[in-house]
Order: sequence, then C-alpha cells, then structure tokens
Amino acid sequence: MCVSTKLHPRSALAVFSLIIINKAGGLIYQREFQAGLRKLSTNDYLVLAGTFHGVHAITRSITPKLPLQNTASPVASSPGTSAPTTSGFSYPNPGVPVSGLEYLETDKFRLTCFQTLTGTKFLLFTDPMTGSVETIVNKIYELYADYVMKNPFYQLEMPVRCEAFDRHLGAWLRGRT
Amino acid sequence: MTVYSFYIFDRHAECIYKRRWLPRPTSVAGKSQIPGAVGSSGQTVRAGDDDAKLVFGTVFSLRNMVRKLGGEEDNFVSYATSQYKLHYYETPTNIKFVMLTDLKSPSMRIALQQIYINLFVEYVVKNPLSPVEHPGGVGVNNELFEESLEQFVTRVLA
Repeated sequence: MCVSTKLHPRSALAVFSLIIINKAGGLIYQREFQAGLRKLSTNDYLVLAGTFHGVHAITRSITPKLPLQNTASPVASSPGTSAPTTSGFSYPNPGVPVSGLEYLETDKFRLTCFQTLTGTKFLLFTDPMTGSVETIVNKIYELYADYVMKNPFYQLEMPVRCEAFDRHLGAWLRGRT
Repeated sequence: MTVYSFYIFDRHAECIYKRRWLPRPTSVAGKSQIPGAVGSSGQTVRAGDDDAKLVFGTVFSLRNMVRKLGGEEDNFVSYATSQYKLHYYETPTNIKFVMLTDLKSPSMRIALQQIYINLFVEYVVKNPLSPVEHPGGVGVNNELFEESLEQFVTRVLA
C-alpha cells in the first residue's frame, strides 16, 4: 500500500471541488479545483446546498433502531449485550454518536461530508479511488479556522470571501498533486 | 454483516415492497413489547410507512444530485453514516432497490442486481397474476418472492 502511493505520487488524489454549507443550509463557499464534475450555475449550487442540508438531516433520522429486550422480559439476556435503556432501542454502533451522511459513492466521484460541532458542513468531491480523504478534510478545516474564523472582518454564516483562505487552500492542494 | 431493511420502489415513487430484519433472532420475544414501551415513554412513534417515504425522498434527492454533478450516466451507488450504510440500485425501468446494512458490508450493488434479476423478474414480473402497476399500494404480495428473498438475505449475504 505505502509503496504504491510512493510510486504514483498521489496522482489518483484528484480533488474536484469543495463546498461549505453553514448551519442553516446556506451555501457560503464553493470552489472548483479540478475539472471532472459538471459545472452548475450559482443558483443550482445554492439549491444543491439546501437539498443536501435537508437530506443530511433525514439520513440521520432513518438510522435503524434495534429493538432491545425489555427489562421486564423473562428471557435471560446474554451477558455480552449492553445494558437495556428505557427507550427500548439501541443504535447499530452504540459507542459512536449518530451522524448524518458521511460519505457517498457514485460511479464518478466520492463525496465526503464533514460536519463541525457548530453545524458547518464541508463537502469535498474527490475521485472515487482516493484513499484517505480525512487528512484533506482536516487540513481544509484547519485552514478555514485559521483564515476565515480568525479573520476579524468575516461575518459569521455569511459567504466566505477571504483571499488568504483561497490562496492557502489552492497552494496546499496544488502541493499535494 | 447485517441487513437491516430492504425496500423496492416502483417508477411512480410507490413503495411496493418493504421488509425489515431484526439483527438478533433472540429479540423476537421483545418485539411485541416495543410498541407499548415506546408509546409509554412519550416518544414519537413513526409508522413504518413514513420510514419508506423518508428513504425514498433521500435516495430520490441524492440520485438527482448525483446526476446533476456527474452527468446523466453517473449512478448513485451508496452512502454511509456513522451508523449504517445504504445501498442503491436502479433498473433501466426506474424500479429502485434500496438496502440498509451495517457499516462492515462490502458493496451490495451486485447483490441488489441479483435480487432484481433472479428474484424480482423471475417471481414477480413473470408472474401473470401479479399487477403491473401498484396504484392502491397493494405491493408485491408474492410468497415465492418473499421466501426466496428471505433465503437470499439470510444464507447468501450472512
């Protein structure tokens, strides 16, 4: 694995575009890095951001709920199972907080969604072969924190127009490919 | 690998088949107590039918989004959250097959295609008694299909 990535220095790590959605579902940043996806009009991007915001919430709410055995049930439960809660169900991954859509795969691209604790969503469109998108997303979040959130002229929840962010983001992604 | 549920939607956005599997057969005893338990704790009880509608809305929106970005020949394959994975397969006749599984499952595209070819076409489409459209929400009411689907999921995919 390691060897092959060294031989082909991240040629497969194509990052198509980045979209940032604020906590209300509004589009605050959209940028294309490499051709590969169709270009949409600004209005379509706004619609896409709003739609995704809604779908993201629904994907969280349709999480399968696994019924638990009731405490009053006479059937002896195996000792390995988690303690039954009063709500009567548990989630498939009890240790992990329930989240909405995290990644989506299609024939042509892979969409990774990272939601910050404050509800801002970062949507990264990459090549489907791309391995660890997490490092890219984390770096973008870091750049966002440094050059957008620390910018005294930036108004929260408003479109991102920060030159330094654009510059550093572009330079960092170019450095990778 | 665990399969949580399976849905079929026809081209009129109607849910024509849905099936849910409990991950542990031991909890069948607890199943009958769930509605009462949930109701008494004041939780909102969502009917299973609404669940199918939410699933349809999700895959419909995501499919349109994918088509818009990737072009007409792009296909929505699957998505994952921190809890589950949803697999999607659409036939050229716009019948949609959706399956919810746990995160460990590999791509189920082939499996959904097999369900369509070997089970749905064989037992439902080729059945002269089964309706072509399902306007009243009758759905696929076919013992042979249900039994073989059950077998496919419990034996082949287990």
